[in-house]
Amino acid sequence: MDEFQEILQDFLVESFELVEKLDEDLVELESRPDDLELLNGIFRVAHTVKGASSFLNFDTLTHLTHHMEDVLNKARHGELSITPDVMDVILESIDLMKALLEKIRDTSSDDGIDVAACVARLDKISNGDLSGLADAVKEEANQDSEETVQKEEAEEEPDYDNMDPDEIEAEIERLLAQRQAEDKAKREAKIAAGEEVPMMPPEASEEEPKKEDKQEKKEKKKEEAPKAPTPAPVSHNKKASQKASAEDPKAAAPAKRAPATVEQTIRVDVKRLDHLMNLIGELVLAKNRLIKINDDVEERYEGEEFLEELNQVVSIVSLVTTDLQIAVMKTRMLPIGKVFNKFPRMIRDLSRELNKKIELVISGEDTELDKSIVEEIGDPLVHIIRNSCDHGIETPEERLAKGKPEEGTITLKAYNEGNQIVIQIDDDGKGLDPEMLKQKSLEKGIITEKEAEQMSDKEAYTLIFKPGFSTAAAVTSVSGRGVGMDVVKTNIEKLNGIIDIDSEIDKGTSIKLKIPLTLAIIQALLVGVQEEHYAIPLASVLETVRISKDEIYTVEGRSVMRLRDDVLSLVHIGDIFEVERILDASEHAYVVVLGLGTSKLGLIVDILVGQEEIVIKSLGDYLKGIEGIAGATIRGDGGVTLIVDVVALMDMARETKATQISSSDESAVREKTKASDYTVMIVDDSKTDRTIMRKALEPMGVTLVEASDGQEALNLLKSGDYNVDAMLIDIEMPRMDGYTLASEIKKYNRYKNLPLIAVTSRTSKSDRMRGVESGMVEYITKPYSADYLASVVQRNVNFKPEFL
Amino acid sequence: MSDKLKEIINKQAEQNDSVVDQLDDVVQLVGFVIGDEEYAVPILSIQEIIKPFPWTRVPQVPKYVLGVFNLRGSVIPLIDLRTKFGLPPKKQSEDTRFIVMRNGSDVAGFVIDRLTMAIRIKKENVGPPPDTVNGDDTIIDGVGKQADKIITILKVNKLLERDF
Repeated sequence: MDEFQEILQDFLVESFELVEKLDEDLVELESRPDDLELLNGIFRVAHTVKGASSFLNFDTLTHLTHHMEDVLNKARHGELSITPDVMDVILESIDLMKALLEKIRDTSSDDGIDVAACVARLDKISNGDLSGLADAVKEEANQDSEETVQKEEAEEEPDYDNMDPDEIEAEIERLLAQRQAEDKAKREAKIAAGEEVPMMPPEASEEEPKKEDKQEKKEKKKEEAPKAPTPAPVSHNKKASQKASAEDPKAAAPAKRAPATVEQTIRVDVKRLDHLMNLIGELVLAKNRLIKINDDVEERYEGEEFLEELNQVVSIVSLVTTDLQIAVMKTRMLPIGKVFNKFPRMIRDLSRELNKKIELVISGEDTELDKSIVEEIGDPLVHIIRNSCDHGIETPEERLAKGKPEEGTITLKAYNEGNQIVIQIDDDGKGLDPEMLKQKSLEKGIITEKEAEQMSDKEAYTLIFKPGFSTAAAVTSVSGRGVGMDVVKTNIEKLNGIIDIDSEIDKGTSIKLKIPLTLAIIQALLVGVQEEHYAIPLASVLETVRISKDEIYTVEGRSVMRLRDDVLSLVHIGDIFEVERILDASEHAYVVVLGLGTSKLGLIVDILVGQEEIVIKSLGDYLKGIEGIAGATIRGDGGVTLIVDVVALMDMARETKATQISSSDESAVREKTKASDYTVMIVDDSKTDRTIMRKALEPMGVTLVEASDGQEALNLLKSGDYNVDAMLIDIEMPRMDGYTLASEIKKYNRYKNLPLIAVTSRTSKSDRMRGVESGMVEYITKPYSADYLASVVQRNVNFKPEFL
Repeated sequence: MSDKLKEIINKQAEQNDSVVDQLDDVVQLVGFVIGDEEYAVPILSIQEIIKPFPWTRVPQVPKYVLGVFNLRGSVIPLIDLRTKFGLPPKKQSEDTRFIVMRNGSDVAGFVIDRLTMAIRIKKENVGPPPDTVNGDDTIIDGVGKQADKIITILKVNKLLERDF
């Protein structure tokens, strides 16, 4: 049965390919009904499928395609004109054909789908009876279906009672073989479901020789095939030989019209390509490692002669690896036209259903994308286009009233932009109304009133992607359930893609999907925070800026900075990923400006490590779904680096304000068990003053730390050696004065709540004001009594009375 | 002569049978220590046992998930059994090992304090887990009784199950 399975596989792959092409051709046919070339092409498809299915014994499919062929043949000879009504029936029959093929793929049999109604309609057309076509359709359907099912069943069950023993045995044998075939087909269908039909040649004529080849091949195989399951009885063989002979003329037919070009392609199992891609991934990792080792060696043996050679080898290896990677990537590329092809048909159906006039303009269908992405992108596009048809494009009357052309246009185009591919869907419909969107979301409780107020128009557009959101007043069969666009967002984000919406009321809406070319290997920016490293997909990085700490402002508890003319909200990567911060020693930080659609975010990191090509690895089932982490990669040194999920990061950034406060709270609350657990830092440039303060506080038994100026105090604090509970700060000091020190300290989240007490001889009101501004909580003027100082300190550190 | 031969053959057959019986009756485990307790897992669920090496912390996971590490090109989670069992953390010592366990496609590394040995234990000496921890949720598969001690046998599939 192996050969039969092989033939079946070939048949299915070929048929699906043909049918896909058919859809496109048929829609085109409607606009150019006289195109003989096109008609011939369509006819040939029906014919080929009929031929193959009849010889594979798929009677229902044969029956259907035979009648399709009749109609198309008439049209081909000019005896029938293709009207929309006729086209509807033809398209319906194609759908049935698809359903049958799918059924065959899944079960190896074409039973259980009723084609009689459709066949009757096809017959009507070929008999020239076009009247009442549409009305009759439904009634017939019901009646016919029952009849045919019965009829089919009757045929299915042979009359066992009247068989002689030999025949029965033969029948059992046959049924057994059939059962085995089914099982096998199921198994193979599972495999087949995982892969898609390979690339289709653009010209129908080019496809002919291949088809012919296959037909011949099939024929040969077929001759052997039935013999394989012997000890099959005589009747079986007879049937087979009949089939083989019946096939002859059909196989000969396509041979006649085969042009001479030869298609230079091989069908390759996708799994092999995936395996190849994995191997390349390993190679890229090894290459990274080699480069790192080369750098180390270079450092150690500077000036040695062999270095030159090593360098050459390393650069050749890395060059070849990159080329190899690109080459393999290309083999996995499919033109996006594969996905686009189904849309003309969809638009046609939708526009008839919705009574709108819609034209679809497709461009850039040759743009290539990784196979896995092509598979994922189909659904989101379907939803977006349906949405555009249903909500975007107005009815012809509305359009005329608005002074627009009656026919709406949806433009679907794909193009490359750097390392990304952009798929753009434009319509010239009524556009999105941000206020209405907000209103709807408020009603459905998707957003709060406060959120609605703060929302920009752009942000309001993205509301359409929220689950449960629908702008349609009524649920139609096309849309309005509030599920579709949510799917779009999830799918696109799964691909690390970006969605960008632009809209103008009564002008139309434009949705841009930006998708990385490939998923497995990406360029990343490596950043460091404390001792950890993270990889950020370079596609989401707009720029990097080096800033000093005082360029960071705090607005409503959020960090922001000024980036040229914009205000950029900032978040520290350490806050998001709960990095334990010992203390930040450097005066400067780097801000990685991340862009996602229209939103921007500055991610503060300690250092920028560099750009590297990384291979994305999954964290596995145990750790999947961690917010903010898209995966992991293995670095040149063998260590694992986590990859940042920029989409999730943007969301998380909105909530990190809370974690900052809680983390500082944690550090503040530390159990004090004795008086010396309290640490007070004394900052004064005068030795005498420091001694006076020390004398005043020593009786309490607290630990005292001294610093002679602001800079020293800050360094002490940063070193993390002391867990300071309060600071006594003189204002006038060399190097760094008290005010500056206070505002420096307040920049650190960790010390937001550290009580700073000014101890100074400056008494004017403006001095006091400056002290408060810079973050001082108390203001003690010299001279003071020792008791007073002690009591102020006690109050500020929450000194437990039992220690006194 | 032929009788003797037969006898010998019979004896061998008996022995073979008894060996098979033994194999059937015995579970092979690998024992290890966490804190003061000795635990064991079936030897076949262990992919390898390795000396500790650096790992990468992963955010937003429970404390007992230390992070991930690179095991010859695969990224594998690392779980600290001390913390998972509610014991205070301890510095890694000479004896600390990572046990990499596999159940189907699930793989994870577990930090243990010390390995003891491979244990063969008769099935009849393996009792059910104590009633207090019975049920589907328990991580304990059973209790193995040995001459001088008892060993807690853990369910590998439960260990490898994500529970957060």
